[in-house]
Amino acid sequence: MAAMCLDNFASQISEKHNVPEIEAYTTPEVILNPLIISRNENEQVLIESSINSVRVSIKIKQADDIERILCHKFTRFLMMRAENFVILRRVPVKGYDISFLVTNFQTESMYKDKLVDFIIQFMEDVDKEISEMKLSLNARARIVAESYLNQVCII
Amino acid sequence: MIILEPNNLALQTCLENCFSSVKKEVVDITLVDFDNVLYHVSTPILTEKNLIWVSIKVPCFKELERYKVQEIIQKEYGQYLHPELKVEDDYSVTFQLDLDALPENSDELAKHFSLLKRNIFLAPFVQAFNYFDTKPEQPGEVMNLSYRDGEYLYIQAMEDRITVIFSTRFKDEMDRVFGKVFLQEFVDARRQSLVSNAPQVLYSTKEPPLEIRNFPEQNHGQDFSHITFILFPRHFKDEETKYKTVSQIQLFRNYLHYHIKCSKAYIHSRLRNRVVEFIKVLNRAKPDTSSQAEKKLASGRFFRQQRSSLS
Amino acid sequence: MSQLAPVVIDNGTGYTKMGFAGNTDPQYTIPTVIGLPNKSAKLTSRYGIASKRGIDDLDFYIGDEAIANNKMYSLSYPIRHGQIDNWDHMERFWEQSIFKYLRCEPEDHYFLLTEPPLNAPENREQMAEIFFETFNIPGMYIAVQAVLALAASWTAKKANQTLTGTVIDSGDGVTHIVPVAEGYVLGSSIKNIPIAGKDVTAFVQQLQREHFETSIPPQDSYEIARRVKESYSYTCQDMLSEFSKYDADPSSNIINHTAVDSLTQNTYNIDVGYERFLAPEVFFNPELVSSDFLVPLPHMVDSAIQSSPIDTRRGLYTNIVLSGGSTMFKDFGKRLQRDIKRLVDGRIANNESLNNGAMKAKPIDVNVISHKKQRHAVWFGG
Repeated sequence: MAAMCLDNFASQISEKHNVPEIEAYTTPEVILNPLIISRNENEQVLIESSINSVRVSIKIKQADDIERILCHKFTRFLMMRAENFVILRRVPVKGYDISFLVTNFQTESMYKDKLVDFIIQFMEDVDKEISEMKLSLNARARIVAESYLNQVCII
Repeated sequence: MIILEPNNLALQTCLENCFSSVKKEVVDITLVDFDNVLYHVSTPILTEKNLIWVSIKVPCFKELERYKVQEIIQKEYGQYLHPELKVEDDYSVTFQLDLDALPENSDELAKHFSLLKRNIFLAPFVQAFNYFDTKPEQPGEVMNLSYRDGEYLYIQAMEDRITVIFSTRFKDEMDRVFGKVFLQEFVDARRQSLVSNAPQVLYSTKEPPLEIRNFPEQNHGQDFSHITFILFPRHFKDEETKYKTVSQIQLFRNYLHYHIKCSKAYIHSRLRNRVVEFIKVLNRAKPDTSSQAEKKLASGRFFRQQRSSLS
Repeated sequence: MSQLAPVVIDNGTGYTKMGFAGNTDPQYTIPTVIGLPNKSAKLTSRYGIASKRGIDDLDFYIGDEAIANNKMYSLSYPIRHGQIDNWDHMERFWEQSIFKYLRCEPEDHYFLLTEPPLNAPENREQMAEIFFETFNIPGMYIAVQAVLALAASWTAKKANQTLTGTVIDSGDGVTHIVPVAEGYVLGSSIKNIPIAGKDVTAFVQQLQREHFETSIPPQDSYEIARRVKESYSYTCQDMLSEFSKYDADPSSNIINHTAVDSLTQNTYNIDVGYERFLAPEVFFNPELVSSDFLVPLPHMVDSAIQSSPIDTRRGLYTNIVLSGGSTMFKDFGKRLQRDIKRLVDGRIANNESLNNGAMKAKPIDVNVISHKKQRHAVWFGG
């Protein structure tokens, strides 16, 4: 929440521009120290904040091939629809699976606590969704295999 | 729809239409089937509309000929083969049907022809069954069939069983992972008592099974998935079970790919659903605009914002 | 494996036409409808419950089979007014079309899909996404239906091979008038008419209700109306004289239609009378069904062409192409031609500077495939 205290800040590099400083990375004095919250090396959240923007990157747990591919699918699917998610970055920060970028304009036009809620719920749901998808994939495979073998099996 | 049918529905309906049409029209229809099989139904001579040709193109027909596919064709469709008839260009076999001399149950015939691909691919299986019936002392030769570009099928009759090995490849990374899950389940599913007398299924990705290690295409270190079906005598004890087993085994690859695609569709619909949910959550963060509905216009008048029908 | 025939799928609101390029007819023309098990409609909407079993989504039927099974399955129409409405259902619809009906491995084929005029780019993206991601197809082309219809008219005898013309595409859900100049759709001149096959059917249904065809079981009345519309309707030249013709000699003009009750399996008869010629009349006198849309089709065509660039107008008048199921009524083209001609002639009389030549309307058959092969030639060559 503290990271979301953002202010309007005109770019010092190019006149009449207002860029998210965390993305531009041109004015070091307005960039704060990045913060990593980590459960283990596979599940991390990186919060990089600056004077007018904050970037939240999430690394999603991927235990095996299936989870990796499902996660990849999922994030890609979301990012393809990034225009609907105003705060979603179309490309994740390197080393992470998905990134959000919140600027001061967004914190001014939206409820901050709801934005935080969204990111937190997102993190919770992603894990749940991926493991659910994995389960249902397995269940499907089981039924498919059974019904196939049933056909070849002798009555 | 869980199980794929062994017959070609499109060919069947197409032939039924030909058979039932009173006014005989010129037909020229190309149809496809799995594994790059192509059908062509046509009227060869415009003046004789009662004759239609049905041609099939099987890419690996040369290999099938080694396994006496001609015998099967002769047996199943012999009366429609005409020796003097030239096989159509690019096709493997051509049959000629006389619409004026159809049997009573023409629908049966259409159905029979729609099984054409199944029957043609039957050839190596029949060879294996025959070999098995001779009660051999040692394993028979391994028959191979490149039924698709770069994918192979091997059949070998052993003393007490017949092994069928599919070497398949997945083009797409996602397909590969999904395929792995599915294949693993095929192996595990057999433990269920319900299907315990189904053929045994083995599956490996790294090493090709011993039987086929000598084939040159296996030695390029390509990432094949090998699926082995072990058929025991009970799977081909009589004609009917034989047909049933073989039909299903032939369709295995298509079945697998079909279900991989279905799962992807399913996952997509879940994702779509999830995206909608997320957008809802995110929209909660947006302040309600309707509270400031009245705005002042330049002319000094007010206008009320149009509320959307939902709110 | 690109030598295998490309697959052509034309998803209309009412019917889906699918087949292989190079053939004269689509292999299948089935209703664009998907039948879902009754219970799971409830479950899947409440998210996540059905997922536990994981296989529910394979239990469905499409097309005619869905209609045949409508006691056990609830029907859903994934396309509304030419636009795809429910992507989940559509994806599954395609899934079964490809594997069950066409029996092809999508990885081996190119696909040609169609889209309505003025389709949103998002829809196109979604469509491409499904086909590339789910089915791993090697390539696809999404063509505008109107342009294909024009290309199709090349097969008609009188037609000259031009990509300029006005397409009147009337399907089940929506009717478009699309002027096309040199293959480009003149987006600003497209006119939509909210009257199409569905409305005609509803109108027939209403007519039947009005003259007390009580023998029709209520649950079948829509289907019956559709069948009546498709098999017996024709366009008359003049409504009044047609009425008097029917009154003078009812027996020869009124057709007896026999149908089977889908519930009780009893057969019953219905008389098909005025609705035979009144049904297509909906297009020419929209006030019959709609209270807020009152411009007849010929006027719409005329105004669409008038709003196009002036140098294309002559070409647009000379080449009016009909496509879609709802233009299949007998003599529809003739009537339309006469009415437009009358309009234009009237204008010429009023304004001599406006000098328009002859025009003709060429009816072409519904099957969209027959003409798509030309389209394929273009696409394949490219």
